[in-house]
Amino acid sequence: MAEKAAEFNPEVFKKTSDEKMSARLKMWLEMCAHCGLCADTCHYYLANERDPKMMPAYKAKKVLDAIKKKGKIDEATLNSLYETVYGECTMCRRCTMFCPFGIDVASIISMARGLCVSQGKVPENLVKVIENYFAHGNQMALTQEDWIETLKWMEEELQEELPGATIPIDKKGANLLYTVNAREPKFYPMDIAHAVRVFHIAGEDWTMSSKGWDDTNLAMFAGDLKSAAYVSQLVRDAAEELEVKRVAITE
Amino acid sequence: MNLYELLRGPLLWLSFGVFLGGMVVRLALFVATSRKKDKPIYRFWSWKWLWLSIVHWIVPVNVTAKKNPIVTIVGFLFHICLLVTPLFLLAHGVLWYESWEISWWSLSEKVADYMTLVAIGCGLFFLVRRMVAPHVRVITTAADYVLLAVTLAPFVTGYLAYHQYFDYYTVMILHMIFGELMLVVIPFTKLSHFLMFFVSRAVTGMEFGRRDAPSW
Repeated sequence: MAEKAAEFNPEVFKKTSDEKMSARLKMWLEMCAHCGLCADTCHYYLANERDPKMMPAYKAKKVLDAIKKKGKIDEATLNSLYETVYGECTMCRRCTMFCPFGIDVASIISMARGLCVSQGKVPENLVKVIENYFAHGNQMALTQEDWIETLKWMEEELQEELPGATIPIDKKGANLLYTVNAREPKFYPMDIAHAVRVFHIAGEDWTMSSKGWDDTNLAMFAGDLKSAAYVSQLVRDAAEELEVKRVAITE
Repeated sequence: MNLYELLRGPLLWLSFGVFLGGMVVRLALFVATSRKKDKPIYRFWSWKWLWLSIVHWIVPVNVTAKKNPIVTIVGFLFHICLLVTPLFLLAHGVLWYESWEISWWSLSEKVADYMTLVAIGCGLFFLVRRMVAPHVRVITTAADYVLLAVTLAPFVTGYLAYHQYFDYYTVMILHMIFGELMLVVIPFTKLSHFLMFFVSRAVTGMEFGRRDAPSW
């Protein structure tokens, strides 16, 4: 899990930024010509009455300015960086499409979110969700019992309409492993039933897994790549254990 | 050795050396670091998306050309004049011939003169835009102004030298200093997009391309 520094730790900030500074990020941070062509491609810029501080290059520059200080930044700068990278960018990459150099601002923002994580600055709900992955293997903290029960329930409901329809669980060697968003079993179980209908009628050789079935990865949104790798690995492990050919993820 | 000979000889060698060597080092550093830290580039390598990404931006066939036609036109004129004028200027060609007995096609002096003015005009457009447009001003640093000046200075002094305004020798010395200065700063500043443009377009083109999404 993300190690949370109790307070602002310049050394960890610098170490994290050194670790995360890839060849591409370094190139992009340094080469921006400050031409301003990304401004009106950003929905934050357009939705905030063309506030110049909402333009992608400004946000990227903010990240560069913070990194340039080699950890010697104050709490206020960190807070402002945090507001920008979490509150003013959805990492949609539209600005990249319009940038003559193709600078990937989303990657820069993601990296800066990782820097915030290294300082324990993560949105509260996101912290909780990431903990859920580690404790329960899914973001909604569903127990394995609840999960299997939900699948059985959907199977029963469906059989009234489609006799013979089943939800295979942990079937080895199936063609397809179907994974879902953990919100589905929690709030919208009928969504799972819709997919089952399609699989049944198409005659697909498929299965669901009793573990590693949540295909969301909210650790990735936090730029917390260690946790994100752990979350992805859960699904991969399930796929390898069941010897399936492919993994399908929910819409 | 007088100042002219110094600038025409050793310092010219030095500036070309720093320019070319610097670019090679930048490229080598990118490759070395990316092998370790940017593995997706190599895993999803695609010549098709690499070239498509470069070609769509080296000629203005892209979303930005449609969205911002004026900046695109001025930007292209600026870069064409910036590259073509010094390479194909008759006076420069004579210098190459004197040193190496090599020669190539050159522009008529009149055309070169106009192209110099176009480069300066486009540069002034960017200067004014930088000072006036809020979304450009907000990201502008002192380096942006200095680099624009360094880029335009060889053209301004070149124009003055050709027309022999002011003291010819002094203007020519300044022209050489600024020209060499521009070459030297390219590898160390945002002007490195001279080369890194191609690298960045390539990696982004392939990154979008592996999802079948064009980056133009």
